[in-house]
Amino acid sequence: MKFSKFLADKAVPIIISTVAWLIIWDFLSAFHIKAGQIFIIGFVYFLSGTINILWEYFRRYRFYTDITSDCDNLEKKYMLSSMVEVPDFYEGQIFFEILCETNKSMCDNVAEYRKSSEEFQEYIELWVHEIKLPVASLLLMCHNNPDTDGKYSEQLRRIDDCIENVMYYARSENVKKDYLIKDVSIKRTFSKIALKNREELQQRNVTIKTENLDIFVMTDSKWLEYIIGQIIANSMKYFSEERTPEISVYTTDSIEKTTLHIRDNGVGISASDLPYIFEKSYTGSNGRTHAKSTGMGLYIIKNLCDSLGHEVKAESVQGEFTDISISFGKNNFVKF
Amino acid sequence: MHKIYIVEDDRSIRTELAELLNNAGYATEYMTDFSDTENTIINAEPDLVLLDINIPFVNGEMLLRNIRKKTDIPIIMVTSRTSETDEVLSMSYGADDYITKPYNPTILLLRISAVLKRTHKDIIKTSYRNLQVNSAKGSLSDGVTEIVLTKNEMIIFQLLLDRQGQIVSRNDLMTTLWDNEEYINDNALTVNISRLRTKLSDFGYENAIETRKKQGYILT
Repeated sequence: MKFSKFLADKAVPIIISTVAWLIIWDFLSAFHIKAGQIFIIGFVYFLSGTINILWEYFRRYRFYTDITSDCDNLEKKYMLSSMVEVPDFYEGQIFFEILCETNKSMCDNVAEYRKSSEEFQEYIELWVHEIKLPVASLLLMCHNNPDTDGKYSEQLRRIDDCIENVMYYARSENVKKDYLIKDVSIKRTFSKIALKNREELQQRNVTIKTENLDIFVMTDSKWLEYIIGQIIANSMKYFSEERTPEISVYTTDSIEKTTLHIRDNGVGISASDLPYIFEKSYTGSNGRTHAKSTGMGLYIIKNLCDSLGHEVKAESVQGEFTDISISFGKNNFVKF
Repeated sequence: MHKIYIVEDDRSIRTELAELLNNAGYATEYMTDFSDTENTIINAEPDLVLLDINIPFVNGEMLLRNIRKKTDIPIIMVTSRTSETDEVLSMSYGADDYITKPYNPTILLLRISAVLKRTHKDIIKTSYRNLQVNSAKGSLSDGVTEIVLTKNEMIIFQLLLDRQGQIVSRNDLMTTLWDNEEYINDNALTVNISRLRTKLSDFGYENAIETRKKQGYILT
């Protein structure tokens, strides 16, 4: 709060007081009051005015400086009303009450949306469980009737993948975090994913190399399964025509973290696309020229990793390889 | 023949599951009335139970806990819920395995046979004709000579031996190998089988593994 601006704001009362003084002065002179006495009256008049302005300034100064600095320092600015002390002057109190009221209304509004978004997620989860029943049933039917197996079950698995995408998108976007962190074997997790995608990997004649997977990390195994599954699915979309496809999965270990690498020898990602691949709906040049892409896969992965506290990174040389790595923290704090 | 009890309220899944298990050589039974699940299961005296979490009247996890108080028959939880919490809860209540829908039928059968083996309800075959099979060492021996099999060859041989006299499809062999973290391709499987044949013929068992065109292999 600047004094000059405050003073400028008080221009009208100052002008009125000055005009009033000129009239008083005129009167006092008309009654032949001595100049010395007029000076004393004038001095008292202006002194009281000045004190008045200064006093008003300092009362407001404290309140507004507090509120401005609180507002600057707060990360969540909507918490402001609960940080500021109730002011001791009337206008301030009105202002403070309004602040509290708008804040409450905003909170109610947010709560309403949060609730509806939670309800939506719950519905999605419920829907996913329901839709999985006919899919499971059809998969069994395919298996029981070997003539139809193969191409039918392949399509069913595609449907199942799409369902998983919806579910994990709902989970990753939501405030309600339903995961469970515990020791998870990377070897076991990867084997589940490999087994799930075995038919497609073999049809595409993909060589799988694994190294140092016999390691445990702190994460949610279901989420990790989905994350790695997505990365593998991405690799399969963008294999190069020139080489035999290969995916190598390995871990590197340092004092503070374990990093899981999933590296393919596919078409790679251009340097101009690389910084944006984790952004929502970003498809890049590969997404246009190769397989159709929604631009959601890596975004969901990033979101899930952020929620779990893992760091996900991409490295690539166009035409040579893509290496997606996930780093798991080794903070012993999370171990019980 | 092992009897598997299916607790599943979706009629279509239930009948298909029963067909799958029957084809794989298990006897099956399932319930249609869910009013007294606990006693119905126990009275059926099955060798293994496939239990869905979402069933009428009672939560599958609670049912699992109640059954565990009375008996230790192997129970595999089968559910469409993919949440870590459900799995951890089920395992802590004493489930033997946890499989999420939609399952790959081959993997489901693999899990069932693994649980049955683990709970000693299934006899692990340790000999083939006059050969001793040492799966820990990964070797075959006729008392005079001992031939070492590679890990892949052992997995293949063990599966063929478990189903001796039945056709084992390449698909089943592949699934089993991949489940054991051996991510080999089609050619490698063919190579492994021909090596295994050579090793068996060293013991004098020529044509022990027969090829059934478009169906798979059979150990005679």
